[in-house]
Amino acid sequence: VCTSRFWFNYRHVANTLSVYRSVKRLGIPDSHIVLMLADDMACNPRNPKPATVFSHKNMELNVYGDDVEVDYRSYEVTVENFLRVLTGRIPPSTPRSKRLLSDDRSNILIYMTGHGGNGFLKFQDSEEITNVELADAFEQMWQKRRYNELLFIIDTCQGASMYERFYSPNIMALASSQVGEDSLSHQPDLGIGVHLMDRYTFYVLEFLEEIHPASQTNMNDLFQVCPKSLCVSTPGHRTDLFQRDPQNVLITDFFGSVRKVEITAEAISLDRDRAGFESKFPEEELATEPLKYAEQLPVAQIIHQKPKQKDWHPPGGFILGLWALIIMVFFKTYGIKHMKHVF
Amino acid sequence: MAAPLVLVVLAAVTVRAALYRSSLAAFIAERVEVASPLNAWKRVVEGLALLDLGVSPYSGAIFHETPLIIYLFHFLIEYAELVFMITDVLTAVALYLAIQDFNKVVFKKQKLLIELDKYAPDVAELIQTPMEMHYIPLKVALFYLLNPYTVMSCVAKSTCAISNSVIAFFILATIKGSAFLSAVFLALATYQSLYPLTLFAPALLYLLQRQFIPIKLKSRSFWLYTMQYASLYLCSLVVIICLSFFLLNSWDFIPSVYGFILSVPDLTPNIGLFWYFFAEMFEHFSLFFVCVFQINVFFYTIPLAIKLKEHPVFFMFVQIAIISIFKSYPTVGDVALYMAFLPVWSHLYRFLRNIFILSCVLIFCSFLFPVLWHLWIYAGSANSNFYYAITLTFNIGQILLISDYFYAFLRREYYLTHGLHLTRQDGTEAMLVLK
Repeated sequence: VCTSRFWFNYRHVANTLSVYRSVKRLGIPDSHIVLMLADDMACNPRNPKPATVFSHKNMELNVYGDDVEVDYRSYEVTVENFLRVLTGRIPPSTPRSKRLLSDDRSNILIYMTGHGGNGFLKFQDSEEITNVELADAFEQMWQKRRYNELLFIIDTCQGASMYERFYSPNIMALASSQVGEDSLSHQPDLGIGVHLMDRYTFYVLEFLEEIHPASQTNMNDLFQVCPKSLCVSTPGHRTDLFQRDPQNVLITDFFGSVRKVEITAEAISLDRDRAGFESKFPEEELATEPLKYAEQLPVAQIIHQKPKQKDWHPPGGFILGLWALIIMVFFKTYGIKHMKHVF
Repeated sequence: MAAPLVLVVLAAVTVRAALYRSSLAAFIAERVEVASPLNAWKRVVEGLALLDLGVSPYSGAIFHETPLIIYLFHFLIEYAELVFMITDVLTAVALYLAIQDFNKVVFKKQKLLIELDKYAPDVAELIQTPMEMHYIPLKVALFYLLNPYTVMSCVAKSTCAISNSVIAFFILATIKGSAFLSAVFLALATYQSLYPLTLFAPALLYLLQRQFIPIKLKSRSFWLYTMQYASLYLCSLVVIICLSFFLLNSWDFIPSVYGFILSVPDLTPNIGLFWYFFAEMFEHFSLFFVCVFQINVFFYTIPLAIKLKEHPVFFMFVQIAIISIFKSYPTVGDVALYMAFLPVWSHLYRFLRNIFILSCVLIFCSFLFPVLWHLWIYAGSANSNFYYAITLTFNIGQILLISDYFYAFLRREYYLTHGLHLTRQDGTEAMLVLK
């Protein structure tokens, strides 16, 4: 979820797209990803490299790519929509791509970035979500059995305040900075004119680029990403609600979709005759008369139209009065003797 | 002189007919410099269509023409192009005849003053001769008919042509000396657009001069004649307005026409000075500034009457120019009317100081109007200030042109009575300055 709009918040969109990219690369399909971007940076009129979002200043990595599927875009990224997605209390007309169709065997990764403060995260420059609301949303999810394990990553200023209030089991949380600290951006690109990434997510991305679906890297390594020397802020994590030991939790448990494959050498036979395999073709439609467009603009009639009869005529008294005046003026000027020529 | 006039008329009619058939007609008809809310052709058509639908054309602020125009175009709407061409021709012929008579008057007056020894001895080169005055009426007709402003105004079918025609007939009647006809046409001109009211003063002065009545405030005959002329004028105006009432059986036309002219509610840009000011003005002050701007038109009449009481036709020229600069919705058709008079004062050429710059200013501004309009409205790279700047420059050019002619006229009059080589008391050469 990227919660900030406007061009100068380019880095938040780049953050979110980097994590999206890593997660897709490691096997999670778009049908299992809900991507919320509050503004369009790739096609922003101020983007000198349209249709791209870069994460590194030498434009090494275009995290926008060709197959980004944004589910909630622009003004749809609101606190209400976010909470509805989490809790599943969503209007029936919502398409599947906008729903979180998770059950009690699902591991959910939630990555949020934007501008935040002590206990809140700002959405769209006009509203906020508080850590209490977030904690309650997660409790709703737990009670509705909507997750098995949940990993919450947040990259904002004072991000650790957002996970302080969680009380539901099986939640592990990471944040880019402690309460009272600001999360800093990584580096600006002078060609594009804005900061491209935040430090914490930059190093997380660097870390995730090393991960492949078979890697055995565990959460403890993720906790070591971005020490204070690189990040300036102190990243924090919370594992007390989590039942397994972080040492045993693989990165790919949350970031990738790794199937447990069982290889067998036995052959399995499939039945040849299966019922209900008739092809159903629609019957011939009845022959009707050929269809054509209705005559909406009878051009031939319009061209040869006679001018309309005028409905209004000046009143007789007016015409009489006007012409009487004109004749009077004429005779006053030129004399009565012309009257015989007129009559 | 009839043959050259006919040739000029034919040329003018050909030019207009050619433009009517070309694609430029639609383009010119919608230009704001040519068609204002008061005299645009599509508003006339709209008003007549409303009338056919049974609605008063004055409901809604679309139609601002007088009822007599409704009457005229009710019958002639199919021949509109012909009507406007004939109107232009009539205007030119009226001006031609008027200036012909005026030349005779000027020449007679000059002869009288020479015989009375009122002129200084060394002003022979300033005296107008019949030879040089012979072609002036033709030039006036030419200037009016072939002026690009008039042609554009005619092609756009703006009813400004009809106002100009009425004013031209008024000038003809005045110069011919018929007080009754002059009052009637002045009433028609005032009825059509309010501002020719100010032409009452020069017409009165001319008629008084023609009747050899001295213009002294104590003279009984002066007041008698003035009262007669004023009552003729007012009675005709009242009669025309009452007659217009009977066309639609309502007084709706008075707020729609005269209220509209005076209170300037429509701020579509034009070549005048009103729209920009009132677009940016607070409501609180708009009444005050409307009054100030409107007084500006009528304000110059009395001082000019005092200064130019011996020269009423020049006064009429200056007054028409002032009307077309300061009126609330000017168009280039109004400008064309006073420009038609410029050949009459061609003998003032040697005294004009800024004529080159002013003609350049007027020509450049005329070309820049559509350019800056396009930049403002279509390209979006300019704004209304650009267009207003050109409006301002154009009006300044016009004002300076008029004041240049004014200066030249007065200077010539001074030289005529005081001699060409002016000397100061100590014998050195003196320079004439307009204070």
